[in-house]
Amino acid sequence: MKRLLLLALLLAAVPFAMKNQGVLYFMTLIMVLGVFAVGYDIVFGMAGLLSFGHAAFFGIGSYVFAFLVLKSPAWGLPAIGIAGVAGAIVAVAVAAIALRLAGIYFSLMTLAIAELLFYAASSPLRGLTGGEEGLVGVPRPAFAGIDFYNEGYFYLLVLCFFVAGLAASRVLRASPLGQAMRGVKVNEIRADQLGFNVRRIKLAAFGISGFYSGVAGALLGALMQFVNPQGLHWSTSGDIVIMTLLGGAGTLFGPVIGVVAFEVLKEILSARTVHFYGIVGIIFILTTLFLPTGIHGAFESVAARWKARRAARPATPSTRSLEAGAAK
Amino acid sequence: MQPKTVISGIALAAAMFAANAQEAKEAFIVGGVVPLSGPYASLGTAMRKGVDLAIEEKGQVLSKPVRVLWEDTETKPQVSVQKANKLIASGASMLFGDGASIQTMAIMPVAAQRKVPLIVTGSAADAITGANRNAFTFRTSSQIHAETQLATEFVKKRKMKAIYIVAVDQQQGRAAADTMKANMDKAGVKILGVDFTPIGNQDYSLVIDKVAKSGADGVLVVTAGADSSTFLKQAGQLKLGSKVKIFGVGFDDNDAMAVGKDIAGVNSVARYHFSYDTPANRKFVEAYRKKYNEYPDAMAGNAYDGMKWFLEVVDKTGSWNSEAWVKAFENSAPAASVFGPRQMRACDHQAVGVGLWTEGVQNSAPLPAYSFKVTDTFQPTGLYPECPKS
Amino acid sequence: MALVLNGLSIGMLLFLLAAGLTLVFGLLGVVNFAHGSLYMLGAYAAFEVVRWTDSFWLALVIAPLLVGLAGAVMERFALRPLYARDHSYQLLLTFGCILVIEEFTRMVWGVDFKAVSPPALLAGTTEVAGSVVTDYRLFIIVFGAIVSGLLFYVIEKTRVGVVVRAASQNSAMVSCLGIDVGKVRTSVFVVGAMLAALSGVVSAPLLPLKLGMSFSIIIDCFIVVVLGGLGSIRGAIFGALVIGMSRALGQVYAADLMLLLTYALLIGTLIVRPEGLFSVRRRSA
Repeated sequence: MKRLLLLALLLAAVPFAMKNQGVLYFMTLIMVLGVFAVGYDIVFGMAGLLSFGHAAFFGIGSYVFAFLVLKSPAWGLPAIGIAGVAGAIVAVAVAAIALRLAGIYFSLMTLAIAELLFYAASSPLRGLTGGEEGLVGVPRPAFAGIDFYNEGYFYLLVLCFFVAGLAASRVLRASPLGQAMRGVKVNEIRADQLGFNVRRIKLAAFGISGFYSGVAGALLGALMQFVNPQGLHWSTSGDIVIMTLLGGAGTLFGPVIGVVAFEVLKEILSARTVHFYGIVGIIFILTTLFLPTGIHGAFESVAARWKARRAARPATPSTRSLEAGAAK
Repeated sequence: MQPKTVISGIALAAAMFAANAQEAKEAFIVGGVVPLSGPYASLGTAMRKGVDLAIEEKGQVLSKPVRVLWEDTETKPQVSVQKANKLIASGASMLFGDGASIQTMAIMPVAAQRKVPLIVTGSAADAITGANRNAFTFRTSSQIHAETQLATEFVKKRKMKAIYIVAVDQQQGRAAADTMKANMDKAGVKILGVDFTPIGNQDYSLVIDKVAKSGADGVLVVTAGADSSTFLKQAGQLKLGSKVKIFGVGFDDNDAMAVGKDIAGVNSVARYHFSYDTPANRKFVEAYRKKYNEYPDAMAGNAYDGMKWFLEVVDKTGSWNSEAWVKAFENSAPAASVFGPRQMRACDHQAVGVGLWTEGVQNSAPLPAYSFKVTDTFQPTGLYPECPKS
Repeated sequence: MALVLNGLSIGMLLFLLAAGLTLVFGLLGVVNFAHGSLYMLGAYAAFEVVRWTDSFWLALVIAPLLVGLAGAVMERFALRPLYARDHSYQLLLTFGCILVIEEFTRMVWGVDFKAVSPPALLAGTTEVAGSVVTDYRLFIIVFGAIVSGLLFYVIEKTRVGVVVRAASQNSAMVSCLGIDVGKVRTSVFVVGAMLAALSGVVSAPLLPLKLGMSFSIIIDCFIVVVLGGLGSIRGAIFGALVIGMSRALGQVYAADLMLLLTYALLIGTLIVRPEGLFSVRRRSA
């Protein structure tokens, strides 16, 4: 928790130190995707379920938020919460259907349902969702008279959600439910035999994760002031899986690191060359082959080795006397 | 450990942006948001070439060097919005772009909010200067309404009695089909059938079969991107052109090269064509060929022309006030457009000028093996929608 | 009649593509998301061969061989370390491969659309029951039938097929019997890649070649594979025909409805019989 607090304080200081709206926008984007990734990891890293359908919860969150806030910007803050709830409900519904299957079939089912929703939003429901053109002019939330069109203030708003999301995830990880989820991931049969209701645990994981996704979708809609079916597309699901894996699944900060790495990499590279996606691809391949626990895992192992080397260093007579001498 | 990673990553990004931001004061910065990857990569690449040439020729605006910052919008509206914001924050005085209409419509509100003029030369949706228009968005290329009007004129000119319509199942396809239906009713031409196909459709053979059996004199094809090439290729293999006149609103030289010899006889509206004979166009084509060793396509031509026009206008105002530029651009006319005489309308920020009609041909070197060629020009009267009342 | 013929030809193209994917999954347990990219490479390789030799028939042979080579490299160096690991790592890796192959294609051939024409022999059309059908489509149907027959025969009836099937069920035992399991795996992957490339070559005369053609085809391919059952050639044929016919029907009748029905069919199959209609692997747990 201490690290999280430190991070929160440092991040909160940023808008006061720098006024560049573009950078603030980018950092806000990273935090929004960070919320999405942390939520995704609850299902993937903790409960061990590879879901390809999280774009559905994310996208639905965006649309619910947009519908509410287009009626009145004053709905802003509660709309984010409602979007989260919508995401949670859809997630539980999808999981209820998909959990009848196991392994790759489960994943394919989540993909199929999300694709169906994407198609529905693009075509038959285009009267409601604006079709591929989406909904433009989605207002930023309005409350307490703060101008959220100033990227600095919006950044701080999103920061609150980001920190809250990380804190909640931390609490979940330490809680009995969180431990149960990890137990299910490691050995489902044993968990079942120990008396845990495995199905309910998985549904809970989806529900919580869906809430995160819905909130993230709402925040993205507010950030871009634009919502379209792209949020429901399988590539959005794919992106979040990749970012979580890249950063390190199953850890608190891992997914966030993945988001940062992916987005910053794209930013830096796309300015240099048109072929940046190819380089990103190479990095994915290398990471999978050489960094199986993601970037976070790589850091951990480096840190562990470094600590071990320090501890293993024997206290030779010369150092002991030096130490003794220094202490005098 | 971990927070350090997060922070260093963010700091790195901040440094990149900060570096960009500093250069803004020393030059006139154009923010180019175009798709350089994704399905519309060829559009964005062509637009970039056109703009780069225009910038090179202009050199200076308001006594400062002109520079373009290009950002790849990946043919995704979400990325467009992100990059538009980034460019404005990096000091862009104007925005140029985007590719697909849905991308352009996503960034129009951003331009308006930040009071940065947006010049559109690559998207044809009517709403950009229609229902969704705003004070800071201008379009110098044509729109679907005008293109449908040109198709109507063609039908009348060829004295067709009945036509078929094949359109992409998207906002633009449906809008064009509706407008065409209304026009044909007025002209007394029968519509024997309308088929909507999904975007990215790989197989048109049955639709083509329906068209061939319908007895229509002509078939209007309203498709986008690769779908046009797919349709034309398959129609060519089924020898549709020998029975029914194939004409479209958006076929271009890329399609000609992708289809090959079956492009002969296919007609289309052209948003721009290198074969259009005006002194300005000849000069442009020559300069373009010298720089890029190829002929300019519709995207490059429109990008060059629109950018050149706007920069002229900005320079004449002598001021850095974007609202002054907007006012000056309304009702302005370019000094020497590749299209000949043109005018920017104040009521909807749509530029009007001649409509070009082309036919597919086979060429000999140095021209590309297959391309279109201008066969008719239509005057602007009646092509563009009435000025809106508000 | 034209409807049936077109549905069949679309189905055959899908089958060629899906066969590779389903083989690789059924026999190697790997979901190769980069399968669509191999299809794209096949099409572009065909373009290149035709550019040099002016012969489509040569392209039909050479392009799959070239892509097979690329597949061998991909399997040996990228996939092999991941067999023991979770499916999700394969996702990340094959996704990386998709991006790399896409950029490679862009660097070599650029962003403009490329064209391949049907061979002179098949450039004509035939009239069937009042409708015009291209000879090339008839060729696709025949060719697809031959390939599926061959595949079926090899896997079910030959010794090679037995070894491959055994290795998929119990690789440790097979290797104890003195067979190099690594080679078997690579070969299966290479065959899968070659099938994808073959589908690309055969599709090339029908479509403009463009970047991103890997994405246009992959969802349909997955639907076919899931319908038919991961790992079953029989299932792939069935699934491909179903989807092919539904696409053909969609062109003539309600396109919107057809797409929805396809998704409903997919979800329905997953709910009722997730291992597909002809599956080889038992679903775990």
